[in-house]
This record gives sequence, structure tokens and C-alpha cells, in this order.
Amino acid sequence: MPSAPGGATLRSSWVREIRAIWLKDLRQEWRLRQGIVASLLMGVATVVGVGFASLGQTLSAGLQAGLFWVAVLFGMFPALARGFIVEEETGTADLLRVAARPASVFWGKWLFHATLYLLLSGALVPLYALLVAPLSGHLGGWLLLWLGGGFCLTSVLTLCGAFVAQTAVRGALLAGLTFPMLLPLILILIAGSRQAIEGVFPAEPLQGVFGYALALSAGGAWVFEKVWQE
Amino acid sequence: MQQWTLECRRLGKRFGERWVFRGLELQIPTGTVLIVRGANGSGKSTLIKLVAGLLAPTEGAIQLWHNGSPVPDRTRLLGWCAADGALYRELTGYEHLRWWAQARGLPDAPDALMAHLDRFELAHRAHDWVRAYSTGMRQRLRMAIATYGDPPLLLLDEPDAGLDPSGLKLLRQVLDEQTRCGIALFATNRAECAGWGDLALELGA
Repeated sequence: MPSAPGGATLRSSWVREIRAIWLKDLRQEWRLRQGIVASLLMGVATVVGVGFASLGQTLSAGLQAGLFWVAVLFGMFPALARGFIVEEETGTADLLRVAARPASVFWGKWLFHATLYLLLSGALVPLYALLVAPLSGHLGGWLLLWLGGGFCLTSVLTLCGAFVAQTAVRGALLAGLTFPMLLPLILILIAGSRQAIEGVFPAEPLQGVFGYALALSAGGAWVFEKVWQE
Repeated sequence: MQQWTLECRRLGKRFGERWVFRGLELQIPTGTVLIVRGANGSGKSTLIKLVAGLLAPTEGAIQLWHNGSPVPDRTRLLGWCAADGALYRELTGYEHLRWWAQARGLPDAPDALMAHLDRFELAHRAHDWVRAYSTGMRQRLRMAIATYGDPPLLLLDEPDAGLDPSGLKLLRQVLDEQTRCGIALFATNRAECAGWGDLALELGA
């Protein structure tokens, strides 16, 4: 295995590379708080708006589930799609390309976005429960939908962010690209959440969500590699 | 001593209908600094980016050899420094180098990182955000990142831009050290740097 006396080597750890990218993004976000503030404002505005609109009404299980995932999606969108766009806009994408292998870049960014998802939804879910409707029914089902849905949302938005970062018409393309990829997922998540609210374990929707997650984790890094390099 | 050879075979790059260069043949052994010269738009940065793996060749191939065997992924063994290469404005110089070391599987002990920054006269500002650095300091940081771990292939794309005389002296030292164990490609149009290499490639000629 070729290596230089100073340490330059082909033998580096995937975990170390991914961790380095994740920590770099966390540090930058902590210092700027651009993505998380934009997302939090969007998410809180959505939940408060929905809560105000539904004040004093008893929402059906389907409506509760739909509003929940719309609020989550609106809240996540600004932060999760920005990762690669910011790298391209600030010109640091080339440094990142040279620093780490494409799969490490993808999973490093994914991990950063997943962290944002956990933090943001950790704030939005209690707010939703307080202002709109409590998350009742099958809590185990809710938890699995939240985790599986988060995995898929994070993967789709990370991948789409990488696609559109290479183009000139980022905003329009991001919406156009994510819509067909997210719509089936959101519909499955809504169906699952409705079952969970009704106290039924959402077995079939969860199969769909985790199948989608499996397909994304298997194909996402591969597709990303083709997009990331010219 | 390890023997490295950088080989470009019939290398060509086209943007749209325009060929930047075509049919480029190079074989650069260990201990060589190749000076890449040429007018603006002649393809100096394009050649450096092709070797760095940042662009894909339209035709031809690039291969790094180690003791006669092909290296499967040369991009893991190179240092890249470009005058227009952006840095993360909200990270410090030290954090940049540590990030690079971790992503590259290089030693990331604080003492080693600070010693390397000190070599580029950045130790006293190591914990300042890069946004507070001058143009010359940013250039020194790019060089520090590119040379950390003594990569056998060093790609310098007009690293002399924005450097003061002491920065240029440092750049000369970097090139001298690179000739002991590796290869350097140095794109420049500065007349005083023309004699710093062993070979010269004039693009657009």
C-alpha cells in the first residue's frame, strides 16, 4: 500500500473521514446558525399557523397525521437541502472533493443533516403536540415512523441538494426534484401516522418507509458519486 | 527511496466546442518540479484540476505510479493549493488543518498540527477565524494544508499570488523539499519563479 514518510496514505478510515466532515459542518452551523434558525422559524411558523387554524376543533386522525408531516417537512426543508448548495456557493466544494472520498462526503453530510433533523424535530414535535394535537395512540409506531421518516427525508434532501448544487437554477430545481421523490414518502408516512393515532401498529407503512430507506442508503452514495465528480 | 511517476497519456480537455489542450503526454519522475506556464485561459488551472481529480479528462488518462505499480486512487496522495481555492471562513487555521488531517487519515496530534502551522508562520494566528486572515495568510494556510503529510504529488496552482517576499521564500523551500521525495506541478506566470523547476511546460504555445 503506497504511503509517504510524512503520513500521506491510501489507507484511511471511512469512519474518521465521515466524522471529520460531520464535525466540520456542526462547527460551522454552531457558529453561523443559518440553517437551523431558518428551519426553526419555518417550522414554528407552520405549527403555530396550523394550531391557530385548528383552534377549538377536533381534528380527524387523517388530518392530524397530514398536518404533522407537513409541519415536519416545512421545518426541515430550509436546513437539510442547504449543505451542498452552501459548499458550491462559497467555493469550498473543491476543497471538500480533494479532502475526502465521495461516499464519505455523502455520509458525512447525511449525518450532519440527520443531526439537524433530530434537533429540529425534537423542538417541533412537542410544540405540535402542545398547539395542534397530542401524539396519541401507538407511541412505538410513532417513534419508528419518526426515525424511518427522518432517515428518508434526510437522504432525499441531501441527495437532491447535491444534484441542484451543480446547477444555476437551484431554488426551482430543488422543489421540482424533491417533489416526486418526497410525495410517495409523505403519503406513506401520513397513512402510517393515521394508523398510529388510531392505536394500530403501522406495520405496512413502516415496511414501505424502511424499504424506501434501504433503497436510498444502497443507491444514494453511488448516485452521489456520479454527481459529485464531473 | 520511493519512486513515484506521474504519467499523462494523450490527455485532452474540452469545454463545449473548445479544446483547452489535446494530446498532452507527460512523464514526471520523483524529484521533479514541473513549471506550468501559459497565458490566461491556456489551461494551467485545468491541467492542475485534471491531475487533482477535480475535472474528468475528455480524452486520455492520468496515472500515478509507485515503484512501478499503478496507484489505484491518486487523489488520496496529493496536496492541492490553488490561489482561488476557497476556505471555510468560520473555521480557524488550526481547525482547517485538523479537519484535513482527519479526513485524510493523517496524524492529528495538536503538537504536530501547530508545528506545521508554525512552519508557515501561522501559529500565532492559528486560532483566529479564516475570515480575519489577510490574502497572504490564506495562501500560506492553503500551502500548509496541501503539504501536510508530505504528499508525494503536490499541485500548486499560482500559489505565489498574494505572497510577500517571505511567503515566496517559503514557497521555494516547499518546492525544494518536495524534490527530495515527490513530484510537484507548479503553475505560475511569475517571471522570478520560472527557474524554480526542473522541467517547464508551456501551454497554449
